[in-house]
Amino acid sequence: MATCSVSKGCFVFKPKDSRKRKRPVTADLFIKGKADSENDRLRFSTYESLWQQMKAETERLQENLNEKIFDSLLSFIKKSHIQLHSKQNDWSYRMRCCEIPTAAVVLGVNVPDHEMTFQSLSDLLKQSLTPHVVCLQGKECTTVKQVLQKVLTNVMGGTVNDKEEDEEDIHHSVHFSQRKMHCSMASLSGWYNATAQKSTSDSPSKKTKTPSLGQEQSPPIVIIFKDLESFLPKVLQDFITISSNYIQQLPLVLVFGIATSPITIHRMLPHAVSSLLCIELFQSLSSTEHLTSVIDKLVLTTKFPFKLNGKVLQVLISIFLYHDFSVRNFVKGFQLSLLEHFYSQPLSCLCSTPDEANARVQNLTHDDCELIRQVPSFMGYVEKQDSEKQIELLTNDQYLKDDVQKLLLDLHIYHKNYFPVLKCLHVTTSSLPKYPLGKQIRELYITCLERNIWETEEYSSAFQLLGMMAKDELVCLLQKCRDMLKSSKQPKALIGALQELEEFLTRFQKLDDIVPVVEVKEDEGHKRSPSKSLQGKTDLYQLQKTLMERKTSRRSKKLSRFEVLRMEVLEFLDKLVRQYLSPPETQPLHEVVYFSAAGTIRRHLNAAPRTALQTALSNPYYYLQNEVLRSEGGTITNTAPDICIVYKLHLECGRLINLYDWLQAFVTVVNAAEGKDPDKMRNGQVDEVLHARFIRAVSELEFLGFVKPTKQKTDHVARLTWGGF
Amino acid sequence: MKPHQLRFIGDREVVELIRERRQGITQKNRVPRALVIVKKASQKWEKVEEDLESLETFRERDYVEALGVDDSGCQGDSADGLAAAGRAVFTFQTIKKADKMAKLASELARTPGKSVKFCAAARRLATDQAGKRGPSIQSKTPTKGKRQYMSTTPYRLRKRLTVTINELGAPSHVELYFEAHSSSKVLTSDRTLQKLQTPMLDQETLMRLLSDDSSSFAGELRQLEEEHEKLFHKWMLQTQLGFSLILYGLGSKRELLEEFRSRMLEGTIHVVVNGFFPSITLKSILNSVTEEVLGYEGSFRNPVDQLNFIIRAFEEDSTLDLYLLIHNIDGQMLRGGRNQQILSQLSTIPGIHLIASIDHLNAPLMWDQTRSCLFNWLWYEVTTFKPYTEETSYENSLLVRQSGALALSSLTHVLRSLTPNARGIFKLLAQFQLENKDNPSYPGLSFQDFYQRCRDAFLVNSNLTLRAQLTEFRDHKLIRNKKGADGVEYLIIPVDAATLSDFLETEDRAT
Repeated sequence: MATCSVSKGCFVFKPKDSRKRKRPVTADLFIKGKADSENDRLRFSTYESLWQQMKAETERLQENLNEKIFDSLLSFIKKSHIQLHSKQNDWSYRMRCCEIPTAAVVLGVNVPDHEMTFQSLSDLLKQSLTPHVVCLQGKECTTVKQVLQKVLTNVMGGTVNDKEEDEEDIHHSVHFSQRKMHCSMASLSGWYNATAQKSTSDSPSKKTKTPSLGQEQSPPIVIIFKDLESFLPKVLQDFITISSNYIQQLPLVLVFGIATSPITIHRMLPHAVSSLLCIELFQSLSSTEHLTSVIDKLVLTTKFPFKLNGKVLQVLISIFLYHDFSVRNFVKGFQLSLLEHFYSQPLSCLCSTPDEANARVQNLTHDDCELIRQVPSFMGYVEKQDSEKQIELLTNDQYLKDDVQKLLLDLHIYHKNYFPVLKCLHVTTSSLPKYPLGKQIRELYITCLERNIWETEEYSSAFQLLGMMAKDELVCLLQKCRDMLKSSKQPKALIGALQELEEFLTRFQKLDDIVPVVEVKEDEGHKRSPSKSLQGKTDLYQLQKTLMERKTSRRSKKLSRFEVLRMEVLEFLDKLVRQYLSPPETQPLHEVVYFSAAGTIRRHLNAAPRTALQTALSNPYYYLQNEVLRSEGGTITNTAPDICIVYKLHLECGRLINLYDWLQAFVTVVNAAEGKDPDKMRNGQVDEVLHARFIRAVSELEFLGFVKPTKQKTDHVARLTWGGF
Repeated sequence: MKPHQLRFIGDREVVELIRERRQGITQKNRVPRALVIVKKASQKWEKVEEDLESLETFRERDYVEALGVDDSGCQGDSADGLAAAGRAVFTFQTIKKADKMAKLASELARTPGKSVKFCAAARRLATDQAGKRGPSIQSKTPTKGKRQYMSTTPYRLRKRLTVTINELGAPSHVELYFEAHSSSKVLTSDRTLQKLQTPMLDQETLMRLLSDDSSSFAGELRQLEEEHEKLFHKWMLQTQLGFSLILYGLGSKRELLEEFRSRMLEGTIHVVVNGFFPSITLKSILNSVTEEVLGYEGSFRNPVDQLNFIIRAFEEDSTLDLYLLIHNIDGQMLRGGRNQQILSQLSTIPGIHLIASIDHLNAPLMWDQTRSCLFNWLWYEVTTFKPYTEETSYENSLLVRQSGALALSSLTHVLRSLTPNARGIFKLLAQFQLENKDNPSYPGLSFQDFYQRCRDAFLVNSNLTLRAQLTEFRDHKLIRNKKGADGVEYLIIPVDAATLSDFLETEDRAT
């Protein structure tokens, strides 16, 4: 069946035996077109399990981060209508009673993430507080009627489902929502009162089921405006005014999701309307903090064997910082990297927990072993061994397997040491002035991944700054370091470091006890001598000389005990860094766990379609590697495809393009390319085929959006782009 | 940039300058000299712009680097090396001379098989304007262009101002932009396609002519295609895992997607949508999902309801698996925000896998953060260099003659269902319009006039019946109302004269 027609644009294809519409097994897709299937299957299952773990981890993280704001929101909603029952005749109650309790939640500009937040909020509300939760989106609500309709169908329709859960199937609610019903606040309040009465009448039975619900006589109706900014102000105003009239009968609570700043509320609502609201402000966690914790949980951990190399991480973080601040997109990028790694790297089956990896290494086939031998980092490793071992490694599969096992374990230990040390370094340097090594740990991590950090300028300047630190600051940092090392499940190698650190701390402690006496003495001695030497010397030359002397003497001055200790601490830190923070490229078999195709990730996530289009138009050689098309920058040959020539010609024009001239120019070029007489169409005679080709090229440019027809002048088209190359 | 010199100018010099200017404007023979001045000025401009450009590109490097473009160590990065930076793509329009295109063409033609440096050519042409000008165009336009340059003091003042601004480091693009748009005058030649002996081709001849035109780069095109076909498995995998794919790049991607469909989607339920189809609607897409895929024979109040129904249906039956292939999701009819919103929500259903293509250069502007996040796009560059045959065939290109066959058949169809009287009324109007076809300022037939004529021909007996009849015509878009300058209502048939006479002929034959 063809998929082009002049009468319709939609074509449905259904396999004949529609019973057998099984999902194609995804794992098969992984395998297809490749030779050995066992390895692929293994890789795919590893991918699946890893991704599931990571996803669960991020979700848990999200919950934890939202916990605080959700708690405060819940308690706000809970207490917002408590007065309704308590003191009916109170004056302050009457004042408040025409105000709708409103929670304004400032969420930040990372709009894509809000969806999840609201989803979990409404789930939480439904679980713990009230069944009546409605989520509204600005794009769906363009009139008050639509808002009301949505609220009513959600609140009333939801309970219909609740009551007759299994008897009525879902079609019922479809009909319900389709039925034209009279949507007004009055009908809602009528319905609400009816159900409230009913629930009180059969509350005994309910109480046994859900005591928390039973206590609340009337669960509030929560209406969530997911994106306040995209609602029409008029709609919002009307809705608020209407519902404020019913606030005595209906326990309404509004929740505003705000992406920008709380001022928007007042910008959208005039005073008359906003005075009907009793607004409380809630601030959510900023998305950069969220990202930091995601990176901490997904990247800076040995829990997951999969790692990103510096470039990939850089790309993902840049997309986050420059484009959307969306943690969700970051996680998506992470998922894509994971998929790409397992799809493209045949050795990635070894990318799993050490125990599993050991078993898998033993099951490797001969071909896999050959693959391992071809891995660059492994080749480097082999070269470093003595000749006997080299031969063994290259010929004996079993020997190789044992060695690979050892190497993988080494890699794992390397990571185990890497992250605690990295965190220590971050703790010590993140409070330095001007942040030479970055404020965030992700910056430090990327630098460490890419090069030997101790060779960078920033590192040495950071250590210079550390060398000038006062004692209590330094002690504080060291304590933090110690806590860091303690809290992480410390590998053996770091126990020594930890002990050393403890020792330093006790020495600092001792310094406190003994030093004062000594230092005072020293100070006095120092102070006296210069003052004496300066007395009575008025000669400028002499003064200069003594000053110089003093300077040199100070330099060579014996360091105080604190300074000596500080030096030792710094040396200790430097030693740690040099020992454990070497970049992963130095580790053999790092390719197994590190994903490095940053270009692929960037192209898939942050593409530049217009650049691709214009590159193809102005430099076709880039795509069609034909020598005829080769040219230098900014030029094009006259043998290029028609559309390229037409495009190049149109770049030379201003706002309007004369079609006749364009055609003439085109014909000249093409005729020349085909070796015909380059002299143009005489007396308006044009080869029909050329004319047709020109028409095609121009209408393609029009289709791409470079030109459009215009009525400003006959037979002219308007250019829609500026400049171009 | 040279610092400005201030020097004293005597009265006589000023007078001379003014006189010279006058002559320059009034007398044509002064043109060459004036042009030289202009050229100097423009060269200055170029220099400024170059400086700024290098600065800008430098800044941009920073940003691009941050995004990790120049990671030459990574696999498959050959594509990154040349990817032009955005600065080159998004620039302001510079001042163009009207005959630049012709010159460029002749330059290209003169050196067959060799590449020509564009900028160099343009610059050279600017200098030796004495000799090889394009044969005819040069006559008028250059002087126009020049006059704009030398205009009068305001321009100079403005230029001086911008120079100082440039020295302060602010970009001059703004100024350039206003320069290019300052005059509403269009500097192009006045020739029209009427000069051609074969002014218009119709759709059929066009197809016939192009059918035997084969591309000279068949081998390379095939190579590109094979490169893309290697990705098919990956596409299947990624769509199964919940990503949506979007294909971009020059050239029609229709054939590629068709190949993908026939090779990979055998035995699955899939819907192909031609987004470039001029009368595609969101409703038809949703309908084909609900009616043909889900087998539901009901109607829906609005697309949102329909969408919700689809979501529920897919939730209920988790074995449902649907591939949605949309050629040109940026098509004219699907571009709107609401449509994209619904489509994005459709793509979030776990059982629906979306693969779409875009071609328009501003297509990504359709999606804001939220929407593109819902779509969960993975971008794939597939440059095919294939002609957009199918995609542009619907378009009423300005160069293709409308054969009018469609309009004619719709006319006859509608009229056939009307009463003889109504037909007579319409014929009356058509005849009158044909009589006046040579009158370019023909406003149409006024209602009163028309009524009189119809009465005379015993076609109507009251003002009201005629009005009722006209409403019927208007509903079928057979006629159009126009208010004249004097407030009188005029009626015209929005069909060209040839079609109209064809119509009258067939009508006469029928009766």
